[in-house]
Amino acid sequence: MNYQPSDFLPIFVQLAAAMGFIVFTMIVTHILGPRRSTKLKDEAFECGIESQGDARTPISIKYFLVAILFVLFDIEIVFMYPWAVNFKQLSWTGFWEMAVFMGLLLAGFVYVIKKGILKWEK
Amino acid sequence: MTPVIALSLFGIINLFLGFTFKRQSLQVVTLLFIICSMALTAMDWNHEYLWFGDMMKTNNLSINFSLIIQLAGLLVVAFSNGFGKDEVYTQPAEYYAILLFSLVGALLMVSFQNLIMLFVGLEILSVAMYVLTGSDKRNLRSNEAALKYFLMGSFATGFLLFGIALVYGSTRSLYISGILYNLSHTAPESLPSFLYAGIILMGIGLLFKISAAPFHFWTPDVYEGAPTIFTMFMSTVVKTAGFAAIYHILDVTFGGFQKNWIITVYFITIITLILGNISAAYQQSAKRMLAFSSISHAGYMLLTVCANQPSTSSNILYYSLAYTLATAVSFAVLMVVAEYQTGRTEKPENFDALNGLAKNNPSLAFAFTVALLSLAGIPLTAGFWGKFFVFTDMFNKNLTYPIIIAVLMSAVGIYYYFKGIISVYFNSGEIEKIETSFLFKIALWSACIGTLVLGIYPTLLKSIF
Amino acid sequence: METKTDRFMQSIPEIIRTIPLTHYILLSSALFAIGVLGVLTRRNALIVFMAIELMLNAVNLLLAAFSSYFSDPAGQIFVFFIMAVAAAEVAVGLAIIVMIYRNIQTIDIGLLNKLRN
Repeated sequence: MNYQPSDFLPIFVQLAAAMGFIVFTMIVTHILGPRRSTKLKDEAFECGIESQGDARTPISIKYFLVAILFVLFDIEIVFMYPWAVNFKQLSWTGFWEMAVFMGLLLAGFVYVIKKGILKWEK
Repeated sequence: MTPVIALSLFGIINLFLGFTFKRQSLQVVTLLFIICSMALTAMDWNHEYLWFGDMMKTNNLSINFSLIIQLAGLLVVAFSNGFGKDEVYTQPAEYYAILLFSLVGALLMVSFQNLIMLFVGLEILSVAMYVLTGSDKRNLRSNEAALKYFLMGSFATGFLLFGIALVYGSTRSLYISGILYNLSHTAPESLPSFLYAGIILMGIGLLFKISAAPFHFWTPDVYEGAPTIFTMFMSTVVKTAGFAAIYHILDVTFGGFQKNWIITVYFITIITLILGNISAAYQQSAKRMLAFSSISHAGYMLLTVCANQPSTSSNILYYSLAYTLATAVSFAVLMVVAEYQTGRTEKPENFDALNGLAKNNPSLAFAFTVALLSLAGIPLTAGFWGKFFVFTDMFNKNLTYPIIIAVLMSAVGIYYYFKGIISVYFNSGEIEKIETSFLFKIALWSACIGTLVLGIYPTLLKSIF
Repeated sequence: METKTDRFMQSIPEIIRTIPLTHYILLSSALFAIGVLGVLTRRNALIVFMAIELMLNAVNLLLAAFSSYFSDPAGQIFVFFIMAVAAAEVAVGLAIIVMIYRNIQTIDIGLLNKLRN
């Protein structure tokens, strides 16, 4: 398979059409639609409980720790891709090496639990 | 590489021991762990092994470096004294575990055979140090130091990585042996020009870590802001490992391209020597003075990297050992005095806080004096021979001007080191007897005796290195 | 048995090679330079942090390009290591930034000057 730059022309045509449509509709609705703003209409929710305070309130620091731990454990998956691709060639040696790697991660996870970081209600 | 595996396991064990053990017993356990891994390191003596898919090589040189690094770790743990008595805000198990993990990083840096290993080792060491620098969570100075160290450290890592990518692109290998093979089998004209940019960028990345000028601006702030015990670790372990890596990259791998990097490194060395020593002379804070002195010692060690003689590796080893012993002792004395003076004077880390130390604490004062004399390079201490070997190397290579600058700058050094000695012995001040733990005394005395023995019999270790 | 996808996967290096290597080097050098400029000029710790990530990703791009050009997987494996280490750095860096925010309610690095005597 050998691509010439000209082969990508349909994509660009499509892209231009899509972008053009979005811009066109945005401008047209802006001009055509009537605007009557009242206090009730500017509310975040028109019905239900009255909204209180600002949306940008600080979030509990517990979320931060969980998010960080997620990033740390999540990124380790990256090492499993090359292992999975070469799974057959690496055979049992590769399996035990990966087992050691996962064991180390597990030790970290046990430490996190024992430290009480995942305990939601303190 | 058994010590690498052992230290990683010990670190994990230490984390879990923290749930049950008291801080003093944790300290003893950590000391035993490090001694154990030192023994494992020494067992490979006179053997050459390749490890982890040929990515690491242990030989006598790397074993010597590993032993010095672990000795520095041992001294730091012995001086740590369980990290004080604050039960709420200090986590001794985590600190000891992170120290052990960072020793793993340092060991990877001294024995790498693949640039991936260099990067991974450097990052293990640096990330651990970022955490330890900010470990005094409520102290704004410690926070600021951690942020500065983190931003500057990762900035430097970016440069190192870009250099590695360019070197990989021009030599088609990440293995040191592969790089050497490809460089020797390609005509210099057909090598892509970005190889030279790559070498310089890698050098800049590593020089950042050992805080050579003009990449030193973070050093005084970080050294001053970090808790003293971790400053001690930073200035000994990180510097030794960094120099092992610089030697391996510049002299061993790209020694054949010396004409492409030598001018830059010369320039950096001379700036480092001048800036480090002159700025140190101005400081009022003893801790900040020691930070600048560590910059200037990086300059002396870079001189021998520039000379690139067969004896360079042994000179770096000797200098690192002398520097490690002296720095550890001086920071340790500074630490206990500052602890005593906190609340008594406004700036507990200034020279003034040391006034009159000798009256009631003769042993601390003597150890401090020996350490400062060794740092200044006065005969009969290890520091003198460290400088002597470096200057001999330079002389053999007919590099007269750098020697003149280096000698002038060590004269400046004598001025600011003696400022410390004068305030300890001749200025008047009220310091009561400071109680130190048993392990602290042992570490202090053995480091002092080591400095003196190396100063009196320099050939003792020179024959092994 | 070789499927259509396999054949396509094997032709990826050839497709990558249709763009000259110099272009990759120039692109990642430009990205790297933007990252360096960001670190040097911005005052917000988080933006500086993002600029550093940009530098690392420029390196990742360059390594992947070289790796495809040489048909040598080592470069791409290095990319994995850089990504994993960058994640660890993010964890530590964000923790430091949060710690500072708790103490002084700002992350402007210009305000951090307690250590300049």
